[in-house]
Amino acid sequence: MRWWAWAGGLVVLSLLLCGVGLSVGSTGWSPPWQAQGDPLAWQIAWDIRAPRCVGAWLAGALLALSGGIAQGLFRNPLADPYLLGSSSGAALGVALFLVLVGVSPVATGILVRMGLTGAAFVGAVLAVLLTLVLSKGVQHTLRLLLAGVVVGVVLGALTALTMLLEPDIMRAMQAFMLGTTGFLGWDSVMILWPMLLVSLLVAWGCSRALDALSLGDAAAISLGVRLGLVRVLLVGALALSTGTAVAQAGLISFVGLVAPHLVRSRVQSTQGPRLVLSALAGGILLLAADILARWVWAPLELPVGLLTAVLGGGYLLWRMHRMGVTS
Amino acid sequence: MTTASVAVSAVALSARIQSVRLQGHAILHDISLDVPVGRWVAMVGPNGAGKSTLLRTLAGLQPCQGEVQLLSRPLAQWAAKAKAQRLAWLGQAESGADDLRAIDVVMLGRLPHQAWLAPPSVQDEAAVQAAMRQTQCWDWRDRPMGQLSGGERQRVLLARVLAVQAPIVLMDEPLAHLDPPHQADWLDIVRELRDAGVTVVSVLHELNMALQADELIVMRHGRVVHHGDTHAAAAHQALRQVFDDRIDLHAVGGHWVALPRSAQRPVF
Amino acid sequence: MNPILAGLKRCLLAAAMALGAVCSHAAPVTVTDDRGVTVNLPAPPQRIVSLLPSLTETVCELGSCASVVATDRYSNHPASVRTLPKTGGLDDANVEMIVALRPDVVLLAISSRVTDRLEALGLKVVALEPKTYEDVRRVASKVAQLLGAGAAGERLWQRMEAQVSHAARQVPAQARGLRVYYEVDSAPYAAGESSFIGHTLARLGLVNIVPAQLGPFPKLNPEYIVRADPQVIMVSARHGGTLPGRPGWSGIRAVKDKRICAFTAEEGNVLSRPGPRMGEAAEIMARCLKGIVPSGGAR
Repeated sequence: MRWWAWAGGLVVLSLLLCGVGLSVGSTGWSPPWQAQGDPLAWQIAWDIRAPRCVGAWLAGALLALSGGIAQGLFRNPLADPYLLGSSSGAALGVALFLVLVGVSPVATGILVRMGLTGAAFVGAVLAVLLTLVLSKGVQHTLRLLLAGVVVGVVLGALTALTMLLEPDIMRAMQAFMLGTTGFLGWDSVMILWPMLLVSLLVAWGCSRALDALSLGDAAAISLGVRLGLVRVLLVGALALSTGTAVAQAGLISFVGLVAPHLVRSRVQSTQGPRLVLSALAGGILLLAADILARWVWAPLELPVGLLTAVLGGGYLLWRMHRMGVTS
Repeated sequence: MTTASVAVSAVALSARIQSVRLQGHAILHDISLDVPVGRWVAMVGPNGAGKSTLLRTLAGLQPCQGEVQLLSRPLAQWAAKAKAQRLAWLGQAESGADDLRAIDVVMLGRLPHQAWLAPPSVQDEAAVQAAMRQTQCWDWRDRPMGQLSGGERQRVLLARVLAVQAPIVLMDEPLAHLDPPHQADWLDIVRELRDAGVTVVSVLHELNMALQADELIVMRHGRVVHHGDTHAAAAHQALRQVFDDRIDLHAVGGHWVALPRSAQRPVF
Repeated sequence: MNPILAGLKRCLLAAAMALGAVCSHAAPVTVTDDRGVTVNLPAPPQRIVSLLPSLTETVCELGSCASVVATDRYSNHPASVRTLPKTGGLDDANVEMIVALRPDVVLLAISSRVTDRLEALGLKVVALEPKTYEDVRRVASKVAQLLGAGAAGERLWQRMEAQVSHAARQVPAQARGLRVYYEVDSAPYAAGESSFIGHTLARLGLVNIVPAQLGPFPKLNPEYIVRADPQVIMVSARHGGTLPGRPGWSGIRAVKDKRICAFTAEEGNVLSRPGPRMGEAAEIMARCLKGIVPSGGAR
């Protein structure tokens, strides 16, 4: 099946899930179009459920895109925003911003959200650069992963230290660490969608270079790829998408790792289409996790990061089982 | 390009290198080399002689103390795309790209000719098909690289190099994993290229294949010991010398053949 | 009965009582903590290390503040304990430091991770963790038992109860029966009916939008709060300003009428500890209600 057929299918699935998302709320299954004489129903659907669905989808798409870029750029199927330390960098950026500016991580107002996003972006970029410096380039997979893990752990410790020194933000950051889609509003969406667009454009623009890069640095350079420029653009896109997603929705694990793998296992394609499909798959994954988080135990809500770990981890385990069976 | 430079350039690649260092060690010393246009040059020498490093330096993939000129212009002055159109490279044991189909990998060879993000043109498709037919991998063009054997993979990578349709082709150990029929095919391809005016430089481990080339570059310990016509006695002398006199060269059916000389028994 | 025997018995009884009166200052104390472990001390402890803020406050309320030699990082009331050595957080207490202080007893929460290590090192550990309103009474009397203070625990409880009742009387009549949402954390975590905060709110005459079956501190779907449409919201000052911006929250009655109690960090400390200062917590809440309900203005 051609890739754009898959893309169309995923878009349809996304719309269906959005419909489900609009129907699930604090009372469980409660579609607004079925609510007779409930004046609040449509208002809640528009004010609360709609931006939350769209925001969760966009955040998932950003995380998956960043995972796909990382896996292509570092030629490593284990690369994901977490493993390169960029998520921890983004979280540290957010924590320092909260301490310095004194707001809540779920505060609204487009300027505050842009400030948070900017802080997260800077944190993510610095973290990835630190990883690259520690691993002395991307040649050695093992060194790259070790460096990423080290950077992630160290920056996570610094975040914990910040929370300790400023106990005021500790509670807020703790919820943030587990992923919070609860308060995604239209102003978060206003930041998420342009960043997704920009990151997609950059990724698509560099997709041929990524294909060439999959044969090695030497092959890519010999084919005329401007490797330095491509790396800078892709690391920038990686940090932008990770930072934006983390700033709006907190730390959410597995989406960046699993969505590209899901796509790769089902669809044969070059990097460009794979990145687009990964973004779509990631959006669906996070949206599904968010819906489950609100539905399973309504009106209580599970942390969405927990569900992505269960869904994503479960999928990975199943894949490993299948690989063990067939090999 | 002015008419002057078109007429004069009979040297495809020229190198004046003082040294090349890798991780602190000097690998190449005092290289002075001119590769003429339209010839097939084979680079040979014992392990660790620096053949791959020299080839990479000629391709502009390895920084050096000195200067390399491509078609009489220093490498540094070439724009990336223009250089990629003139010089095609096949590295040693290129791994990766397991998810791409064979045809996608060969299509990568057309990258230097494609405008950014432009879809493949009719010429691109034709070049890819021609290259894949030449290395006989067209029939399974839709198979992912991860499912190919070593020899099949090598043929796809070769096709990629051919698809570039560059006037200069550099190949490092191109015969890896290839069985004799395909090695023979490679020989035919290289001869066709040379006859069409393409310059081919190949690092070869297989001495017998190297002895089919027009010129030999014999290396040892990071230096070029000899560069000259393959059939000349000086070349043979240099070959024997760098391999510590452990080979014998014989003329067989119009071709030169190198046989290992046993230390135990006297040569016949 | 033989009158001589009866007389002997009376004398013995009197002698025993006299002896008891003489020894009561140095009587051994026994208390069974919340783990069910019985701890015996030869005398009321003179050196106490407390690793839970509410336990620190209880000990001080019972008059033995001078016996506290070290506390955890978060114990900050009364002011005198602020200068004491700090042994770390609730999870990462510095065992070496505690042992070096040679305490007679260590008071900590059941959820503390250092209990086993401290007991292995020979220290006496009393684990008490007040979680609900009734717990505070039980913990107060146990701590009083430990300090050899007898009925002081019960008296502390009565004082606190009186404070809460007094605060309840301060709440204006219009505020009674109003629906309240108390936000503990911005995830959002709410204080439900069955929590100690919920108990105080009920005493003040407010109706909690979070019923008991959702648990004491549930993490809610924000939509639930919008649907429940509380008339009063209690939240920390850091988040108070963000409420109108939350999606869909501008329509909530409390937000529209600006009936939001935004508590400072100091007040938050009092409100969030189930301990002897719950009476003070009730007063803080009552004061806020008085301020926002008649005029409907922001606090």
